[in-house]
Amino acid sequence: MQPESSAPEPITIAFDVMGGDHGPEEVVRGAAQLSLETPHLHALLVGDRALIDAALEGTRHSGERIAVHHASQWVEMSEKPSLALAQKPDASISVAARLVAEGEAQALVSAGNTGAGVLACAKHFKLIRGIRRAALAAVYPTQALHGQKQDPFSLILDVGATVDATAEDLVAFSVMGAAYSKIISKNPDPAVALLSNGTEPRKGPPRVVEAHERLSRTPGLRFIGNVEGVDIPKGTADVIACDGFVGNVCLKMLEGIHETVLELARYAYKEKLLWRAGLAMLSSGIERIKQVTDWEQYGGAPILGFDRIFIKAHGRSRARAIANAGKVAAKAVAKDLARSIEQGLPS
Amino acid sequence: MSLPDRIDPRPARRIYRWDLDKTYLQTEFDTVMQLLRTALQKAHEKVAVPGAAALIRELRAQGDTRLCIVSGSPTQMRAVLVEKLKLDGVEFDELVLKDNVRNLLRGRFKALKGQVGYKLPVLLESRASAPSEAEEVLFGDDAEADAFIYSLFADMVARRVGRELVSRVLDEAEVYPDDADRVMDAWERIPHSDPVRRIFIHLDRLTPPAHFARYGPRVVPVFNYFQAALVLAADGHLNAHQVIKVAVEMVQTAGYNLLTLSNSFQDLVRRGLPLQGVALALTQALQGPQALLSALRPVPDIIAAFTKRLAALGAQPEPPAAPAIDYLALLDHARLRKSKREAGA
Repeated sequence: MQPESSAPEPITIAFDVMGGDHGPEEVVRGAAQLSLETPHLHALLVGDRALIDAALEGTRHSGERIAVHHASQWVEMSEKPSLALAQKPDASISVAARLVAEGEAQALVSAGNTGAGVLACAKHFKLIRGIRRAALAAVYPTQALHGQKQDPFSLILDVGATVDATAEDLVAFSVMGAAYSKIISKNPDPAVALLSNGTEPRKGPPRVVEAHERLSRTPGLRFIGNVEGVDIPKGTADVIACDGFVGNVCLKMLEGIHETVLELARYAYKEKLLWRAGLAMLSSGIERIKQVTDWEQYGGAPILGFDRIFIKAHGRSRARAIANAGKVAAKAVAKDLARSIEQGLPS
Repeated sequence: MSLPDRIDPRPARRIYRWDLDKTYLQTEFDTVMQLLRTALQKAHEKVAVPGAAALIRELRAQGDTRLCIVSGSPTQMRAVLVEKLKLDGVEFDELVLKDNVRNLLRGRFKALKGQVGYKLPVLLESRASAPSEAEEVLFGDDAEADAFIYSLFADMVARRVGRELVSRVLDEAEVYPDDADRVMDAWERIPHSDPVRRIFIHLDRLTPPAHFARYGPRVVPVFNYFQAALVLAADGHLNAHQVIKVAVEMVQTAGYNLLTLSNSFQDLVRRGLPLQGVALALTQALQGPQALLSALRPVPDIIAAFTKRLAALGAQPEPPAAPAIDYLALLDHARLRKSKREAGA
C-alpha cells in the first residue's frame, strides 16, 4: 500500500506528549506544525488522549499525518526516573519507547524527564553492536561556525548518561558524535577532540590518555587531539567527547554563564543611563547573537548508541523547538544514523 | 428490440449536492495570478481532490440518486467544467454556476463575492422541485461559508428556524432584496421534511475540525474523501467494497498509504463518530476474494494498522454534542475564512 511516486518514505516520529515544562499543548502544537510542514513525516502522539485531543482541537494540523496512542500515566520532571518507571508501567515515555521498538514509529522525541527517557530507551531499544554504553549529547553555541550549514553549534557528549566512561566508551562517543555531526550538521569531516586538562597527549587521567592513543589510530575519524575547557565555547572542535560527569558539569556551567550574562545585562540596563545607552547601541548585535545561538533551532539533543533514535528536546521547548526536534529525528532516521555509527567504530 | 432499463424511473431517493472549487477540484484563487491560472486552465489540467471522483461514482452507483452541483465558478467556465467532470466519469443532474457578468452589469458588487445570497436560493429552488422524501448529503469546503449555508438550508427545510430569523440572517449577510425574495418564495414551496443527513466540509485550508463543532454533529469536517466514505458507509450510503474503491483511487493517484488512511480513520473515531461497524465490514471485505484488492495488499497489514489505531485509543470516545445553532452569531464566524497562505499552509 505504498504511494506510486518518488516521494520520500514516510517516517513516523513518536512524541512523548506528557513531558516538557509547558505541558501537552506545546508538544501537540509542535507535532501539528510538523504535520503541516513536511508531508512525509507523521506524528504518533503518546499520552493522555483527552488532553491531546483538547490541544489538537484549536490547532491547525493534518489529520492524515497524526495518530494518537493513549497512555494513562506519565513521569513528572521532579520524579526519580527508575522509581517512576517501575511504578508507572503505562507512562507515556515508556509506551512511546516501546512503540518505537515495535516499529510503530521510527524515532522518539521527548521534552520530559531526561533520566526517564534514557531508562525507557535502555529498556526497549538495543545498543548498537560495539557500543557498551549510550551517551547523551548536547549542542551548545560556539564562536566558530561548523559544517556546510555554518552552524554556530558544537556537539559535546556524554553529558550525563554514563558517569564513569572507559577509554573504549570515549572512543565510541567520539565515533557517535562524528556520525551525528556528519548527518545532522552536514559536516563531512568533523573535527573530534577529547576534553582534558591539557592539549598534550599524555595529559589527563589514564582513560583519557588511552582513548587519545586509540583515537589517533581510528581510521575515518579526524581526531584533533585534546582540547581544554577554554576551547569549548571557542568551537575549536566540532565534537567533544568526555565522560558524563565532566560533560554534565561543563554543560551546566555553560548554561550558568549564559544566564549570568543576561542577568548582568538586565542589571546594567536598570542601573545607569549610560550603560543603558551602551546596551541600546549594541542591541542589533545582541539580537544577532540571540538568533545564531537560538537552541530552539536545534530542538533537542540525541541519545546516541541505541539502534533507534531518541531526541531529547529541552524541557522548556515551545512548539517550534518540538517541530525541529522532530525534523532532526527524521533526518537521523532517513540517513540511518545507527548504521553510520556502527560502520565508524574501530573493528 | 431492446427495452429501456426502466420505463418509469423512480424519483431520486438520495440527492448529493456538491460545491466544485476546493471541494471537488483542487483550486487556488487566493491571488490574482492563481485566479487567472484557474480561469485559463483546460479541462485536462484541472485536478480533482483525491478520491472525490471515485466517491461520487460510488454514490451514483447506488441508483436513484441525483447529483446537483452548485459552484461559485463563473458561467463562462461551464464548458471546461462539464468536460472535466466527463473526463472523471462523473455524471451530474444539475450544474449551477454564478453569473458574475450579470452581477457586474447590474452593479451588484456585493453579490460578486457573496455566498449566502447566491447559494441559498439555488439550493432551496432545487429542493422545491425534488421529491419530498429524498434524503440529502451536502459537500462543501472550509474556504467559504459552506457549513453555514448548508446548515441553514437544512434547518430551513426542516422548519427548525423561523421566518424572522432567516430574514435577519439575509439582512446581516447583505443579500440583495430580489435574492432574499427568491429564498422566501422557494422556501414556501418546499414541503415540510427533514432530509439533510450529513454535511461534509473538505478541510482544504486545514481548519481545525473543532472549528465546526458549533454546527453540530450533522456537519463532519473531513481531511480527505476516504473519511467521507467511511462516514457514508456508517450512514448506509456506501458498502465496504465501495469504501475500498475510494481508498484505492487515493492510493493509486495521490500517494495515500496505509499510514495516512489509518490515521484518517482514527481521526474520525477520536471525534466520536461510530465507525466500529464499518471497521468490521471493511475487515470482512478485505478478507474476501476481490481483484480490486491487489492494489491494497498485504491485507493482514492493512487490517492490523486499522485495528491498532482503534485499540490505541483505549475507551471509545463520546459522540459529539448537538448544540443549538445560533445562526446570527455564526454568520461572522463563517465570514472569517482566511486564505490558505494567511492560514499558514
